[in-house]
Amino acid sequence: MEDLEKYIKENKPLFDEHKADRAKIWATIDERLDTPKSTTFWQSPFLKIAASILIILSGFSTYHLFVSSKFNGTEKHQIVNNELSDIDTYYKGLVSFQVKLIQEHPKLQEKDKVAFLSFMDDLDQEYEILKLEMTKNLNNEYILEAIINNYKKRIELIENLLSQINNSKKINSDEDYIL
Amino acid sequence: MKTKILYTHKDLVEQSKSGDRNSQYQLYDLYVDAMYNVSMRILNVKEDAEDVIQDSFVDAFKNLSSFRYESTFGSWLKRIVINKSINQLKQKKIALVPLDQHEYHLNEEIDPVITTLDIQKIKTSITMLPQGYRQIINLYLIEGYDHIEIGEILNISVSTSKSQYHRAKKKLIKIINTP
Repeated sequence: MEDLEKYIKENKPLFDEHKADRAKIWATIDERLDTPKSTTFWQSPFLKIAASILIILSGFSTYHLFVSSKFNGTEKHQIVNNELSDIDTYYKGLVSFQVKLIQEHPKLQEKDKVAFLSFMDDLDQEYEILKLEMTKNLNNEYILEAIINNYKKRIELIENLLSQINNSKKINSDEDYIL
Repeated sequence: MKTKILYTHKDLVEQSKSGDRNSQYQLYDLYVDAMYNVSMRILNVKEDAEDVIQDSFVDAFKNLSSFRYESTFGSWLKRIVINKSINQLKQKKIALVPLDQHEYHLNEEIDPVITTLDIQKIKTSITMLPQGYRQIINLYLIEGYDHIEIGEILNISVSTSKSQYHRAKKKLIKIINTP
């Protein structure tokens, strides 16, 4: 029996009689080495990475949305402020010019000037309230419209007053001005 | 006990560890035939052996980081191939060891004497052995494992491995001696 053991051990290489289909086997190995290890769906490292990216992106998007909305709000705020400022400058200049005309008008009595300017002061107060409302509620076009109307009213009053002054020259110098 | 470090094909192994496909192919090319023959001796079916070889190389390359040169790369790979081949047999519910356990007969029987030592006759006779006997002859005489290792591979005790080997060898001699 020992002879058989010795003989087999000495001739081991002769027992390798098969030849593997190298190309075929390697093709499968090569393909499988390119494929990631099979794991359950929730254990997949790619899923974990994807989930992490999604969380980061969501966080970024939320932040961006927040900042962007804040920026948009600020931008809108800025636009409205600019618009208001332009209107304000334009009408203030106009009102100021016409009020000056009234104050310096030689044919207008002092008490009429005071009454007129007092009325203008009321409109000024209304304007200040509207302007304050405007800063509280920037999207309120109604307030903006009211501010413009306030200015228009003042200008209209001034124009009417000036018109009456001019007309009084032709009609009757004793006639009182009706405000 | 101090572990022996065996640096066989160290460069190829290290490059394969880092995923270098060319090095992996070179290792494959060096060992594929030997591994295919190991699997064929156990499974005896070409397609099954090819599947086992593919699985073994893929697993080996994917888990190469766990290879610490405590054996040669060939020995490490061979153990993977053998384990996978044995598992393949288990899946087919093929008995790995003979069911008879009449060990008391061993001492009563006289060991047979081999009449002729012919490699081709021996190879043919091994294929004629019952499955369980064939595995133990292959593992001990051709693959070179000792009974402790065979016990681990086949999940049997060392004494069972020894007794089964003894019987398998007697059966083999009987077949060889049959004209």
